[in-house]
Amino acid sequence: MPVGGSPPSAGSVSTTEPFAAADGRTVDDRSGPDGSRRARSRARDWERLAPYVLVAPAVLIIVGLRLYPLLLGVNFSFTGDGDRNGEAVGLDNYLALFDDPLFQQALRNVGLLVVLLPVAVAVPGLLATFIYLRVPGHRFFRSVYFFPAVLSPVIVGAIFNLLLAFDGPLNTVLGSVGVGPVDWLGDPDVAMFMVVGVHVWATFGMGLVVFLAGFATLDAALLDAARVDGASLRQVIRHVIIPGLTRTIQFVFVTTMIGMLTSMFGLLYVMTSGGPEGSTYLPEYYIWIQQGQMNRPALASAASTILFLIMLVVGLLQLSILRRTGRED
Amino acid sequence: MKQRALWSAVLVGGLALAGCGSASDSESSSSGESTDTLVVWDWKSGEENAAGYYEQAKADFAEKHPDVTVEFVAQPFDQYYTLLGTAIQAGEGPDVVLFNGGGQIRDRVDALLPLDDYVADDRERLAGWEAFSQDGQVFAVPLTLQGHPIYYNKALYEQAGLDPENPPATWDDFVADCGTIKTATGADCIALGNKEGYGIEFFLSAMGSAVLTPQEYDAWIAGDRDWSSPHVKQIFELWKAAGDTGLNNEGANSTAMFNDSFAIFQAGEAANMIGLMSDIGHWKDFNEFLGAENVGVMTAPVVNPEATPSLPYDGGIGYAVMNWTSDPDLAADLVRSLSSTEALEAFYADAGAIVSDTTIDVSDAGPAVSTIVGEIQTGKQALHVALSSQTLELIHRLSQQLLSGSVTVDDAVAQLAASDQAG
Repeated sequence: MPVGGSPPSAGSVSTTEPFAAADGRTVDDRSGPDGSRRARSRARDWERLAPYVLVAPAVLIIVGLRLYPLLLGVNFSFTGDGDRNGEAVGLDNYLALFDDPLFQQALRNVGLLVVLLPVAVAVPGLLATFIYLRVPGHRFFRSVYFFPAVLSPVIVGAIFNLLLAFDGPLNTVLGSVGVGPVDWLGDPDVAMFMVVGVHVWATFGMGLVVFLAGFATLDAALLDAARVDGASLRQVIRHVIIPGLTRTIQFVFVTTMIGMLTSMFGLLYVMTSGGPEGSTYLPEYYIWIQQGQMNRPALASAASTILFLIMLVVGLLQLSILRRTGRED
Repeated sequence: MKQRALWSAVLVGGLALAGCGSASDSESSSSGESTDTLVVWDWKSGEENAAGYYEQAKADFAEKHPDVTVEFVAQPFDQYYTLLGTAIQAGEGPDVVLFNGGGQIRDRVDALLPLDDYVADDRERLAGWEAFSQDGQVFAVPLTLQGHPIYYNKALYEQAGLDPENPPATWDDFVADCGTIKTATGADCIALGNKEGYGIEFFLSAMGSAVLTPQEYDAWIAGDRDWSSPHVKQIFELWKAAGDTGLNNEGANSTAMFNDSFAIFQAGEAANMIGLMSDIGHWKDFNEFLGAENVGVMTAPVVNPEATPSLPYDGGIGYAVMNWTSDPDLAADLVRSLSSTEALEAFYADAGAIVSDTTIDVSDAGPAVSTIVGEIQTGKQALHVALSSQTLELIHRLSQQLLSGSVTVDDAVAQLAASDQAG
C-alpha cells in the first residue's frame, strides 16, 4: 500500500485549509497561538489517518464483497442440503463429492485439460511462426486466424453443433471418402476432445497475437545468421525461435490455462450439456448443475471450494513461473 | 464522506442479506412489498401465443381486486430455477411463481404455501394435481397437462401398405410394422433425441404401462419401486434393444430432444415418436408439418399381456405461492384467476396446450388431440415424474451408457435402486 506516498499528502494539504478556516473564527476571539497549535495537531492527526481512510473503501470492498462471501461459501460447504439444511454436517459434502462419479469425471477432465495444454499453446505458436517466416498469404492468415476470437462461445458452439452432428457435413464428407460416420458429440471417448478442440480453435487467436508481439522483439540478425549457416526450418525453430521466445511461451501457457479452466462453460453448455454419459463435465458445470438444477447449494459450495483450491494451486504455480522468468531477465 | 456512508450502507446491507447460517435459507421473511402489488415470475408471460391467456387471467383478477397491480416478470427458462433458487436463499422475491410439476416443485415445497384451503372448489374442474402435491398437500394449481403420447405418422404407415387407423397393438407387431416401413419408405422407426438424456424419461413413461402390471404401476407411483423386478428390467432391456436393433435414428446420443428429434419426426424421417402433450413437440406442432389428418396417437403397444396400457400424464406447469408473500389470500386469488376456465380456454386455443380444465371442448383440433383428451380419464401419472431429480440425472447418464453399451441393464437398475433409496 502506498502509505505516505505523494497522493495522500496532496490530499491532506487541501483538507487542512478548510480546517484552519473553520477554526479561524474562534481563533480571533481567543489567544492566537494556542488555537493555531490545536489546528496544526489536528492536521497532523488527519495526516496520520488519511492513508487508512483512503484505502478503506478498497479494503472494505475486498473484505466485504470478496473475502466474506468466500468464507461464507466455505462455511456453507460444511452444512447440509434439503432436510439437513443449516445443520453442520462436517465433511459429508466432500465425501459425497469424491464418491460421485460425475465429480470424479470432472476432476479427470481438468487433468486432461492440463495434459492438452501444450497442444493448445503449440497451435498458435506454430501458426505465428509461419506468419513470421512470411509464408505466402501470411497477411490474409493473420486476420483470419484472429477472427474466431471475437465470436461468443455460444455462437461457436452452435456452429460446431451443426458441423459435428451425426448427419452433419463433416460426417458427409468423411462418408464420401469411405470413412464410417463418427458420433463426434455422442461418443464419450471423443466428445471431450472435440469440445477442447473447438475451444482451442475459438481462442487461439489471442495466443497468436501475443506470439506475434513476441516475434517483434526477436533479433532478425540471428535468424539471418542461422540461414546463412544453412540451418533447416526445424533447426531455426528449435535453436533460434524457441529460446528467443521463452518468456512469451510461458505467458501464453499461463493465460491459456486460465482460459481453459474458467471459460469452457458456454461451450459445454451448448455443445454437450456435460454428456454423453457425463464425459464432458468440468467442475464449473458440475457446480451449476448441483446449485441450479439439483437444488443442492451446500454440495455446490463444497465443489466450489475444491475448484477454488485447484485454481489457487494453479495460480500460485503460474505466479512462480512468471516471477522466475522475470528474474531471468 | 457521502461516498463512504454509501459504501458502508451497501456493505451492511450485503452482510445482513448474506448473514444466514445455511446454504439455502428457507426461513420466511417479509418481502417488504406493500400488499397492492403482486410480483409473478414465470417463463411464459413473454410468449406471444400465451398473450390471450394472460389477458383473460388479468381481466378476471382485476375484476375481483381492481386496486391491485400485478407485475409479470418473464425469466429465461434455462436460468429459471437458478434464479428462483437464489430468491429462495435470500428469502424474498416474487409472490407467485410458475413451476414444472414433479421434481422441480417437490424439491422446493419448503418455500411454498400449501394451497389446499384456497382451491377446494377447483379440485373437480381441473386435472393433474398429483404432480404439484407433496405429502397430501397441494402447492400449485395445474394449468396444463403434460404427458407422453406415442405419435405416429399415418402417411408413412399408409405408404408401407399398413392400415393407418389400426396402429400396432403389441410390441412385436410394432417392431414388425417398423421393418415394413423401413423397407418401403426408408424412414426410421423411432425419432429419438437423447443428448440430454430426456429420451429415457419419455420412453420409461410411455412404455411403462405396457410392461408393468397395474399393481406394479401403482406401487411405483406410490413410492414402492422394485428396481430388480423382471418387469422394470424389461423396460430398460427394451430401451437397449431399440437402440441395438436400429429402431432409433442414428446418433441418438448426440441428437437433442429439443428440437432436433422433433424435427426428424416432422420431416417424415421417422414413423413414430414419443412426444409431449403441451407447449412443444406436441400434436399442434406435428399437425402443422404433417397435416392434422396424418398425425395419429397410439396406445402403448403391449409388451406384457398382463399390462393395461394407459396414457401417462401429469400436471405440466402450475402457479404456486411463495410462503413469504405478505398477503397469502390475495396471491392465492391471483393463482385462481390464472387457472380460470376462460383463461385456460385461451391458452388451449392459442398455444395448443392440453389444459388442466377438462370442461373445455377440443373436438375441432384433429384426431390426435381427440385421442389424447379421450385417454385423460383413464390415464395415470407418468413413471419418471415420481423420481427425484438426482435419480433422473442418473437415469439420463445411464440411458446413454445403455445405448452405447458401456453399462449392462443389471448394473443400471442396481445404480438406480441405490439412488432412488438415497433420495
